[in-house]
Amino acid sequence: MKKVKKQEIQKLLSQWQQEFTVFVPSRENGVAEMVVWDGQDTGFLEWYRNTVVPPKENFLLNMEKMFDFHKADGNYSLEPTPAEDRKQLIFGIRPCDARAISIIDMVFKDAYEDTYYLSRRENAVLVGMGCLNPYDSCFCTSLGLGPAEATDVDLMLTDIGDYFLIEEITDKGKELLAKAEGIEEATKDDENRAGEVKDAAVQKVTRKIDVGEIEKRLPASFDNEEFWEKISAKCVSCGICTFLCPTCYCFDINDEMLKGDGARYRNWDSCSFPLYTQMPMENPREEKWRRVRQKVHHKYSFYPMLFDVIACTGCGRCIRLCPVNWDITQTLSGLPAEAPAGTEK
Amino acid sequence: MNETEQKLRNEARTLLEQGRVDCIIGYETGSLKFTTTPLITKDKDDTDRLVINPFVVNNLSVFLSDVDGKAGIVAKGCDSRSIVSLIQDQQVAREDVVIIGVPCSGVIDLDKIEKLIGKDRDELDDIAWDGDKAVVTIGGAKKEFPAKEVLMDDCLSCDMPAPKEYDILLEEVGPLVCDNELSRSRIKELEEMSPEQRWEFWENEFSRCIRCYACRQVCPACFCKRCFVEETEPQWISPLPKWQDNLIFQAVRMIHVAGRCTDCGECQRACPVNIPLRSLSKKMEEIVDELFQYKAGTDKDTPPLMAAYESEEAEDFIR
Repeated sequence: MKKVKKQEIQKLLSQWQQEFTVFVPSRENGVAEMVVWDGQDTGFLEWYRNTVVPPKENFLLNMEKMFDFHKADGNYSLEPTPAEDRKQLIFGIRPCDARAISIIDMVFKDAYEDTYYLSRRENAVLVGMGCLNPYDSCFCTSLGLGPAEATDVDLMLTDIGDYFLIEEITDKGKELLAKAEGIEEATKDDENRAGEVKDAAVQKVTRKIDVGEIEKRLPASFDNEEFWEKISAKCVSCGICTFLCPTCYCFDINDEMLKGDGARYRNWDSCSFPLYTQMPMENPREEKWRRVRQKVHHKYSFYPMLFDVIACTGCGRCIRLCPVNWDITQTLSGLPAEAPAGTEK
Repeated sequence: MNETEQKLRNEARTLLEQGRVDCIIGYETGSLKFTTTPLITKDKDDTDRLVINPFVVNNLSVFLSDVDGKAGIVAKGCDSRSIVSLIQDQQVAREDVVIIGVPCSGVIDLDKIEKLIGKDRDELDDIAWDGDKAVVTIGGAKKEFPAKEVLMDDCLSCDMPAPKEYDILLEEVGPLVCDNELSRSRIKELEEMSPEQRWEFWENEFSRCIRCYACRQVCPACFCKRCFVEETEPQWISPLPKWQDNLIFQAVRMIHVAGRCTDCGECQRACPVNIPLRSLSKKMEEIVDELFQYKAGTDKDTPPLMAAYESEEAEDFIR
């Protein structure tokens, strides 16, 4: 393993900046999110715990043009938006958010290959940074990952005091380091220190859910209208928990047209909104409890059915940012026990 | 548990037991430090979980349209004004709501505490009132802050902390720290800008709006069943989160709630990307007061401001 002095981070980012558009956590725009590095500031190393806006926005833009169209002589012609050739380096991504991107990758390369998303993914490298001070809303350890675990990234950094220990996870990651200056060989002591730090971080995640129990109880809860009505009562149906969820990937498609010229865009959409399922004659999820049920089932039941993985990494944003403190871990822990054996449904 | 909480729980339980209400809308302890969360229940045993503390941020009147039958609702001064406003707009019938007025000396702004301390809320051990000072404990050390440094901006300009409209009043309101100038300091900064500077300021702010509509969803004055932003035939604004459309959405929303907004501050608190929405809503409230000498939600028997017209009314709003 390798290591780098903390004071060398600025130099390291500058080297990477030659080849990549480097993104780092920033609060400059008024909210914590990944923004293009200004070539100077490494102050985030002091305050950064996690961003409010998850780094999924680097791949699934909250607004993107898919193509232009022109109407002439009764015919439409399409002009595809040129593929982005920008190479992104996301520095400091947390394991929960990196795993989340791997999870939504599955959907974007499933039956239909989404070139908009995938081209950005292929052109990106993720440099992870262990989360040593998780929030009280975090519950990643219940979902099979650790706050400082090296996973779903190309390089993984762990704060061991004056240095960051660096684990090379992928070939892309190795390449990044091969060309970089200021990288030192890590000692056995450094590795042990990193191990201790990671273990300590795991202990700090105190919010727990029981995934095994949820897998058993959740499908059986589907028709329990009383349960879903009760737990959804205080939800205000805003889009915070879905838009800012690192694994929510729904989008809407809209055309903007003036006379014959226009463009097709897509933008984030949310199953919390009644409009999401509005159809000409009816809305199958008019009532709030149906929408809340959908969100929970999609993450913990439907997605595992399709891709064999829970679409939640326990990042805790939906709990931290909810204006009414609707807490998914309380809902999951409060799922009614399965009907006793032998009872007819 | 304090005396007020005990009284509140008793009153709420009695209301349910006597069948005077079908449900109770109040606050219970939240799942994170220094939070409360709405408790909406028909079960009298749940009333033992009701709390009143300096973190009762939500304006619960937003839930009145969700519940069936008669509701007993816990209301601070600003919330009770929202309820009155809903009654004026015939969204709620006075006889369908039992208002449990609670004393309010202002709610604590955790964002301000985080800025003062330089730590996030979950890293703090305790926040408590000691007279007119907030005492924050962190790692065993205590730090004191004057109330006006830690109260929500909207609380600092509150002149009606005690509900005027109520069925049950729990106790007289405690001393309230007011500082209207401090409360509107951001608005003053905006007033001192040139129109170009202001335009640039709001362009920046609305550039990060993600159109989650939390501001609208937590707003009791936004009671429309159909909102113009979701209309597609014709389409009023683009659903794409371009800053211009984001700004138009908010500008129209603000005008729609003029005369209904009670400066409860919920829109700004709910915004996940920190857009200072209260700078718009408070300013608008001031304009409504100046032009029409009208304060939203203070008299249930007057018609809503925008639904009434008198021939001698000022017309200098056209400018």
